[in-house]
Amino acid sequence: MSLLKVNELGITFGGLRANWDISFEVAEGELLGLIGPNGAGKSTLFNCISGFYAPTAGKIYFRGRDVTGFRPFEMARLGLARTFQVYVATGDLNVLEYVMVGSFMKTSSRLKAKAKAEGLLENMNLTGLAQERVANLPVAAQKRVVMAAALATDPELLLLDEVAAGLNPSEIDQMINVIRWVHSELKITVFLIEHVMELVMKLSHRVLALDSGLLIAEGEPAKIVLNPEVIKAYLGERYVAQHSGRGGERA
Amino acid sequence: MEILNRAVDFSDFPKIDLYVAAAVGVFLLVFPALPHSGFTMATMIQFLMFSVYGMGWNTIGGYGGQVDLGKAQYVGIGAYTTAVMMVRWDVPFWVSLPIGMALAVGWSFVIGYPLFRLKGHYFAIATIATSLVLKDVFESWSFIGAARGLKIPIKGEMPNFLYLQFRQDYYYYYIILAFFFIGLFYINWFRHSRIGYQLRSIKDNEDIARSLGIDAHWAKIRTYAVATAFVAAVGSFHACYNFNIEPEDVMGLDLSILIALMAMLGGAGSLFGPIIGAAILVPMKNYLGAWFGATAGLVGLDLIIYSFIIMLIAALEPRGIWGMITRLRTGRRN
Repeated sequence: MSLLKVNELGITFGGLRANWDISFEVAEGELLGLIGPNGAGKSTLFNCISGFYAPTAGKIYFRGRDVTGFRPFEMARLGLARTFQVYVATGDLNVLEYVMVGSFMKTSSRLKAKAKAEGLLENMNLTGLAQERVANLPVAAQKRVVMAAALATDPELLLLDEVAAGLNPSEIDQMINVIRWVHSELKITVFLIEHVMELVMKLSHRVLALDSGLLIAEGEPAKIVLNPEVIKAYLGERYVAQHSGRGGERA
Repeated sequence: MEILNRAVDFSDFPKIDLYVAAAVGVFLLVFPALPHSGFTMATMIQFLMFSVYGMGWNTIGGYGGQVDLGKAQYVGIGAYTTAVMMVRWDVPFWVSLPIGMALAVGWSFVIGYPLFRLKGHYFAIATIATSLVLKDVFESWSFIGAARGLKIPIKGEMPNFLYLQFRQDYYYYYIILAFFFIGLFYINWFRHSRIGYQLRSIKDNEDIARSLGIDAHWAKIRTYAVATAFVAAVGSFHACYNFNIEPEDVMGLDLSILIALMAMLGGAGSLFGPIIGAAILVPMKNYLGAWFGATAGLVGLDLIIYSFIIMLIAALEPRGIWGMITRLRTGRRN
């Protein structure tokens, strides 16, 4: 049985079709990527799945259960955690406290919450920052903190929204290792949006491509980057027309 | 037992803070034995009352970041419950106190449910509006004395612990001091409890909080109820201490703003902030207010000063005096 199933999902804002007729499944244990140009509707899709937007059409199933229209905290309690593309911290929580908020989802004991948070911080190389205010950290560290908090809820499925954006190459390598660790050691299914193709290509088993709210392609990472529909979405129709001959030769 | 341990666990504060806090605690305990005037005693009682008001406000307003400018309506419910029950049915203070708190908390759910759908300034304005509407209702409700208010008659011999009627102020002082310590230990527990953490994460970023399994709306309503219980308890005390309550005194906008201001000046979202705020503003209000009003004939100047303080906090240090102290400390480290 698939962990997540999305069936003919659609959402419109006024007259804008942000997502249209999207159907796919995420299998348990999979590492799935989602790519697409800016404005393709990737984050909107994540927001629908995690309950931040109520879809105007279609259904979402989590572990076979219809969860369409569930609210974010309900999705979290069912086992779906997520991170956010942009993080604005305004409070005074420190890193340890922030991750503890996540562990408090499953326990009301402060000691247990703390022990779990400290374990996660150690595994994610954040122990040294435990007492720092999250708002004072650089972007890369903030993203890892938010990810650690999401992991502290013990999810089955983790949605990562552009965790590598704004990171330098060595930070990207670190992030790749963290995601690998989440997937293989914590046995969490990962579904990630990413513009950094290096990360997508190295990690994903399978990639979905979205353009103008529509699912245009789906397949292995090596094949999806050669898909004419995907190239067209990123580089435009004219580029594909000019280069289609050479592509044929190479094949 | 774990709850009690956590209520007295102050280990995250630097030693120096704890020495200062202990010294202040001892001073508060022995204050009535020191030489003092009646006016000083009244100021001290008010300081303790406003500290507890501020502690209550600090749960939702400080840790939760929801600026609530309508706390006076719950002071009014507490005060009126105690007064009405005493005047009409001879009910002792200790019976009407929990009833007043329960009624106020019940009303806070009615108000909180729709209001917490609003955010930021809209929420703040809505709390003012509901508080003023309830005040108007009380002012025209003849059963509870309408705009003239209620006067609690003397019940038998003094000192009367059942009805909280004393000739000497130090009895009132020690009762409100007990409230103060209970409140302080409760907040110390609260700030490290699950709901405390959840609330702070809502203040930090509500979307992330929701994605971490927190029902933000319900968490706010629950905390609002806690804040309400605090102010309603002090409201009940206020009725007995003053013998005389009117809607204008216990439900006015001034009171709501003062409650919020004390906590914000001292440091919203910190344990000692509301106490620091009350320690500065209450004496200022009493001494300056008396001086401006009586000597200088400048009634209302104190209100201008409050507004000025609000602007200063907003512009310089949103975390108030406690925030400045923290900044000085961490600044030295860097």
